[in-house]
Amino acid sequence: MTDGSSAGVADGGPNATPPYGVPRHSGNGADQEPLLELESVSRVYGQEVKVHALRDVSLKVMPGDFMSIVGPSGSGKSTMLGILGVLDLPTAGTVRIAGQDVAELDDPTRSRLRGNSIGFVFQQFHLIPHLTALGNVETALLYRDIRPKERQERARAALERLGLGPRADHRPVQLSGGEQQRVALARAIVTDPLMILADEPTGALDSHNAAHVLEIFQSLQAPNRAVVMVTHDLAVAGTARRKVSMSDGRIVADVALAEVAG
Amino acid sequence: MSEARDLLGVAWSGLKARKVRTLLIMLGPVIGVAAMVSAVGLTESAKGALQAQLSKLGTNLIIAQAGGTFGSQNPSFPTDAVERVQNVSTVVSATATANISGVVALPIQGASSYYQAFPAPIRAAGTNLPAVLEVPMVDGRWLNSADTQLHLRSVVLGEGIAKQYGYLPGEVRTVELNGENFGVVGVLGAVPLDPTLDNAAFITEWAAKNVLGSNGHPNQLYIRSQPGATQATSKAVPTAISLGGPDQVSTQIPSDALQAQAQANKTLQEVALLAGLLALTVGGIGIANVMSISVIQRSSEIGIRRAIGANRAKIGLQFLLESLFVGLLGGLLGAAVGVGIVYGVSAIANWVVVIDYGQIPLWMGLALLVAVVAGLYPSIKAARLEPLETLRLG
Repeated sequence: MTDGSSAGVADGGPNATPPYGVPRHSGNGADQEPLLELESVSRVYGQEVKVHALRDVSLKVMPGDFMSIVGPSGSGKSTMLGILGVLDLPTAGTVRIAGQDVAELDDPTRSRLRGNSIGFVFQQFHLIPHLTALGNVETALLYRDIRPKERQERARAALERLGLGPRADHRPVQLSGGEQQRVALARAIVTDPLMILADEPTGALDSHNAAHVLEIFQSLQAPNRAVVMVTHDLAVAGTARRKVSMSDGRIVADVALAEVAG
Repeated sequence: MSEARDLLGVAWSGLKARKVRTLLIMLGPVIGVAAMVSAVGLTESAKGALQAQLSKLGTNLIIAQAGGTFGSQNPSFPTDAVERVQNVSTVVSATATANISGVVALPIQGASSYYQAFPAPIRAAGTNLPAVLEVPMVDGRWLNSADTQLHLRSVVLGEGIAKQYGYLPGEVRTVELNGENFGVVGVLGAVPLDPTLDNAAFITEWAAKNVLGSNGHPNQLYIRSQPGATQATSKAVPTAISLGGPDQVSTQIPSDALQAQAQANKTLQEVALLAGLLALTVGGIGIANVMSISVIQRSSEIGIRRAIGANRAKIGLQFLLESLFVGLLGGLLGAAVGVGIVYGVSAIANWVVVIDYGQIPLWMGLALLVAVVAGLYPSIKAARLEPLETLRLG
């Protein structure tokens, strides 16, 4: 199964096949189960002085979604990303991944779920400084019981597909900002995740590198994978096919180029 | 198994990334283990040297000194004190020396007034003194019966005074004693059990009486007892000499002093062990401090590892393994340094090296335990960090 709308990177060309993953599900969107579902989720911080970061939010992330979550500072989009990434648990409401309530899972199971199903890209890259680019990408496969040789091969392949093969043995301090973000992208996709979550992925980049990274995000779309970008930049948000707007902890708009069922 | 190997690799790379910091926090275990290994090794090697010396010199020598009544200037024994002592059944051999006071000894004729200002002790000695002391001659011969029968003015120098006089082995030398010429016939070897003899010169009892005017009463007796009966003999000697009269005799067993020195070394060993334990404890506090700071500095790394699938236990274990490596490497290096110190000092002091290698794993194990305990708090802190706190989203 191919996705004709994605843009390849290392291979070039607008119709290149996405480089990662064999589709895990087939069929049209209407039959598909959501990858992740938020049902009346709230998140409150603090004891004496309460901060309502999310208020009664419901959202379904479907396979094939290319979603941006936008909003001003303090709108709750970072908290939303934390909940979507199973990095945080809601104070109220339910979060389900593939139908499973994450609150019922213990920490090791939630961690394994994140490692297997979710790839993260952050504004500050968060590469481990004492590891090479190859080592950083390999780290994503470390907690999955994969042999060292296979880890290295897959990591090298991921870097090469993002045009970073010659830089595999360089440490983050030896890479430019754009290259570091591409290493972070390689780390996010080497596990062939069902969902890629990006927090302001172009926030620390110049316009040329930002455009390059956005092209890569577009190429990562696949029928069985969702790409979710959290951003305050409306231009970046405009590159996605579904835009969720947030304000004051609530979803105020959820607009798609084509309506998503459910 | 591969999961364990992976975690060990992650911990090792974390330490390798900060080599100077790792070396600094290893100092505690290194110093602690080195102190403990060298404390035990050095005291055992010194004790070994002492024991070797003692077994060479024997532990059965008793020195009896004449003690006088109040006001007596030169306390002495009766002239037959040696015979009296030889009546003690546990005495194997005995001899005597007599101090001859007021003698000006000059190393050569016409020597400077320095030697007049600092007179060397002159002693009259029996012909069997070296045999009783079990000390060899380093040059020439000891005084013998021919010296007495032929009225020869022979003198034997102690090793120390021979060096002071610049005497060369085999040299024909005359020394002046109160203006009388005496020929040097030999040099007595060092006497570890009574170092005062090293700086004395020895003449026959005949020469002492007839040339220098001594009264012939001995002041010291040197007695060898049967092995195992030294203490009892030491108690019997004053009675044998005084024959029931006022007890003016003090006895000492010189080897006891050496053994007391060995005991003092044992006390030093205990102090050094305590110092080593203190170094380990302080080192452990250092490890805990530095690892705690490291957790804060590496919060981004912790956050991303949690995001990509590491659970709390794996994060905690990663940091605990780093502490374990510090303790293990520190212990190994400390043991090597400690063994090196023992070999080095023993080479300088001419001791036989005595190291109980079986004890070294104990000290290393202690270093490991301290490091792991020190790493517990930072590990728990790392495991409890929430990824959202560390990834600075937004």
